[in-house]
Amino acid sequence: MLRLRNSRVQEKLIAWSGLVVLLIFVFFPSFYLFSFVIRLWPSVYIEVFAHPILGDVYWKEMLRYLSLSLRLSLVTVVIDLLLGVPLAYLLVKRRFEFEGFLEDLTMLPLVIPTSGFGFATMLAWTASYSLPTLFGIRIGLDTVVPVIKIPLLMLIVHVALTFPYVVKTVSGALRDLKASYEVISSSLGAHPLTTFRKVTLPLILPSMFSGAVLALARSLGETGATMIVAGVSTTAPIAIVRWEFENKVAPAAFLGALLVALSLIIIVPTEYLLTPGKKGRRLLPKGLEARLIRLERSTPRSFALLRDTASLAFLMVIVVLPMLMLIYNSALYWASDPYTGRREGSILYQLFGPPRYWDVIMRALTTSLITATLSTLLSVYISILALFLIMRYNIGRFIRVLLKIPLVIPTSALGLSMILLWGPKGLHILNPGLWLIVLTHVVFSVPVIVETSVASYMEANLPIYEDTARSLGATFYDVMETITLPMIKRGIVAGSLLAFTHSLGETGATFIVMGDHTTIAPLIVNMVESLAIPSAIFSSLILIVLSFIMLAIMRKIVG
Amino acid sequence: MMPNIKIIDVHKRFGDVVALNGVTLDVRDGEYVCIIGPSGSGKSTLLKIIAGILKPDKGEIYFDDSLVNDIPIDKRGIGLVMQDILLFPHLNVWENITYSPLVRGLSPLLVDELGNEVIGYLDLALDKRMYPDELSRGAQQKVAIARALTAGPKILLLDEPLGSLDAQTAKEFRYELRRLVKDLKLTAIHITHNQEEAMSIADKVVVLRKGRIEQVGTPLELYTSPKTPFVCRFIGGEANFFEGSIESREGLNAIIKLKGGTLLRTQTDIPSGARVVVALRPEDISLTRRNNASFPGFNSLEGIIEEVHFLGPYLRYVVDTEEGLVIVRAKRSARFMKGEEVTLSFNVFHIFPYPKEGLRKAIAYE
Ligand SMILES: Nc1ncnc2c1ncn2[C@@H]1O[C@H](COP(=O)(O)OP(=O)(O)OP(=O)(O)O)[C@@H](O)[C@H]1O
Ligand SMILES: [Mg+2]
Repeated sequence: MLRLRNSRVQEKLIAWSGLVVLLIFVFFPSFYLFSFVIRLWPSVYIEVFAHPILGDVYWKEMLRYLSLSLRLSLVTVVIDLLLGVPLAYLLVKRRFEFEGFLEDLTMLPLVIPTSGFGFATMLAWTASYSLPTLFGIRIGLDTVVPVIKIPLLMLIVHVALTFPYVVKTVSGALRDLKASYEVISSSLGAHPLTTFRKVTLPLILPSMFSGAVLALARSLGETGATMIVAGVSTTAPIAIVRWEFENKVAPAAFLGALLVALSLIIIVPTEYLLTPGKKGRRLLPKGLEARLIRLERSTPRSFALLRDTASLAFLMVIVVLPMLMLIYNSALYWASDPYTGRREGSILYQLFGPPRYWDVIMRALTTSLITATLSTLLSVYISILALFLIMRYNIGRFIRVLLKIPLVIPTSALGLSMILLWGPKGLHILNPGLWLIVLTHVVFSVPVIVETSVASYMEANLPIYEDTARSLGATFYDVMETITLPMIKRGIVAGSLLAFTHSLGETGATFIVMGDHTTIAPLIVNMVESLAIPSAIFSSLILIVLSFIMLAIMRKIVG
Repeated sequence: MMPNIKIIDVHKRFGDVVALNGVTLDVRDGEYVCIIGPSGSGKSTLLKIIAGILKPDKGEIYFDDSLVNDIPIDKRGIGLVMQDILLFPHLNVWENITYSPLVRGLSPLLVDELGNEVIGYLDLALDKRMYPDELSRGAQQKVAIARALTAGPKILLLDEPLGSLDAQTAKEFRYELRRLVKDLKLTAIHITHNQEEAMSIADKVVVLRKGRIEQVGTPLELYTSPKTPFVCRFIGGEANFFEGSIESREGLNAIIKLKGGTLLRTQTDIPSGARVVVALRPEDISLTRRNNASFPGFNSLEGIIEEVHFLGPYLRYVVDTEEGLVIVRAKRSARFMKGEEVTLSFNVFHIFPYPKEGLRKAIAYE
């Protein structure tokens, strides 16, 4: 009896400490910008809307940046859907040899350091031996897509970095969907296209939607790669970084709060509204429906081949090509600048010659590895507490939804939030540097680990085992140690690896909070901006190789 | 009449699992065929191959004498009904039923006409605007069958169509299903692992075991002359199995001696001295109170009632005899009590050469 009461107390204690830790390390930083803006509203108002000299210049600029960001993310999502859904179809429905490898390639942009990837993309599209030049087209940072007025490279980078969300959710839904529905539809005489439109599509719509929402939020906040290909254009996240460096805290904080609010408006309602299998109303008038069916029936069956080929080509151009260009260019720049022939423009010279970039890169890499390790470890502990809350208490569902938020907060807004909260301008507990980086990365690492583990917990049907063990007289710790942790270990390990890679490649927030402790991803941005291209090539290559290795390990462990 | 479906030497394996191992079968036009067999015997695999969902590793499928191996599922003219029912959850009853004519591009007038016609067949008394999850399982399955019928199939393929309905609904529905198939002059292949269901509605029953056909015949043939101990056990419910050997024979008249010493007189062409298996159905045994005057003769056993189970129309006894426990099924009119001494006598039983794999394996439900 005493044992039992004891374990109840332990349980309560752990639950409460979990809640507190989550509040301090995850939720508070996520929402701090709001409280900052509200607290200092008078001065924010004057700076942004009624500056004595500038008037509402900041506000006007903000609207312009926000408008570009919104346009960019909307168009990105549309393209993601158009290209991602067929790709998911290919991954799920076709059986072929390199399936696993292809899936890895698709997921690569999720783990790849964004600045490195952005740089590789820039090389692939603008360098002298790039794909467009083969067709006699010249593309630069200043090339703008007409009508929607979005810089082309920015759009390409955003699509590359966000389409995996769509592929991931849609292929998950396709796997869950009973293939028999499609078989039945065929047996009733429907053309494969008709089956897709009338049966598959309505059933995977919720997943498509939630993938699209994630992609939208991610695109809205993308900083690292965007900075590299931005040229003269400015998106909202970039503006935040710039204003923070120019010490214009008020407009930066206000814009950050606006971005966070936008992400929230997008993600929270969809989390609650989306229940799969909503009944459909007739969407099309009868006449149009009949015409569509006739059109579908006249499509030759070889269209599937066309679709698959197009999907593969898309994947090659948008993900593989940049990697190849990176490797190709490192060879090109290895001993001398390929265009001028000058030795000073070579990778070897920049690394080991007077610029001594080798030391800089190694220092940044070390900082990156240390911060990634520390933040991942800390996040694992916090995540275990959070998991416990989610699994055993009713507020768990709410916490799980809330934990999606840090995932979609624009990273530069997060960085700003961290520095305003913990830094010299706020509580003054930490100066920019290693520890602030660690705490910043914890904010987005915890949700990643929790989400992966919750999935494996749900699959294993753990609560039943736990209660059984309890009824057999096991204490809370016994249960945690012998049942819960071992069973969700795989989820936690997979989540940690994901968080580690994320942390290694994070650019936007780190930029703001790193002080002198430069990590490798922001270093690449600096190198590009100071035109140390050979070093940028080399560093990007290192980062991408590292994330490939992580992905391989992940595959080994998760199976 | 020409055979409607011809299946020739079909093989199918999944990795190391052999799902079908040389299946050959003729189904005649308008026939109602039930395929039965234990779980994992390859029933669904066979149906999927006929439907064109799976390709056989080897073998041919003919519909009306034309090879259909390479014809895609939507061009085979089949109606498919599954245990999982699989009504499209986002479409209502009417949209589900008229799905086929709509997607085949028929005119709206024809679509409505077909839908109403099929609803007429099935006396579907429900609101056509309801969604599948608002219907009972039975009603859902009816709608699914209606949906398959609007495709105008010649062949109806049913994979455990009554498997997810409650026992009572399933029992009533199975006769309705047969009547429908006969009225519409369709050919039906119906998979089930309920032997009673198969016996009660099939023109022809196919017993599948481990990817091979064990026996094909009318329900009566399978019941009265099973070819193997397995079929004997699978068709007709429980059976008692005994081991023994042919003691002596003259012409076709033979005497069998069971392990416990009981002697049976019968006719068989199994040679003298060979080991045999004897199967005795519980309903073929009659029970009488043991009479001191009687002496042990042929085709009878003495025993003591061990257990009595009341099963409604009849009683099930477990009787302890020299040959082990014997199950007897008897009318309620004469009741025996636990511990009573009885004589079991019988004239109908089935004799099989002793199976190579051993009796236990030969009758296992795997
Ligand atoms: N897609 C598949 N992949 C691998 N093995 C399969 C597959 N489909 C069936 N099998 C195997 O083939 C064998 C026959 O399966 P099948 O589904 O035809 O059996 P069944 O007679 O329909 O059984 P049940 O009564 O359980 O439905 C089984 O051992 C099954 O495990
Ligand atoms: Mg089956």
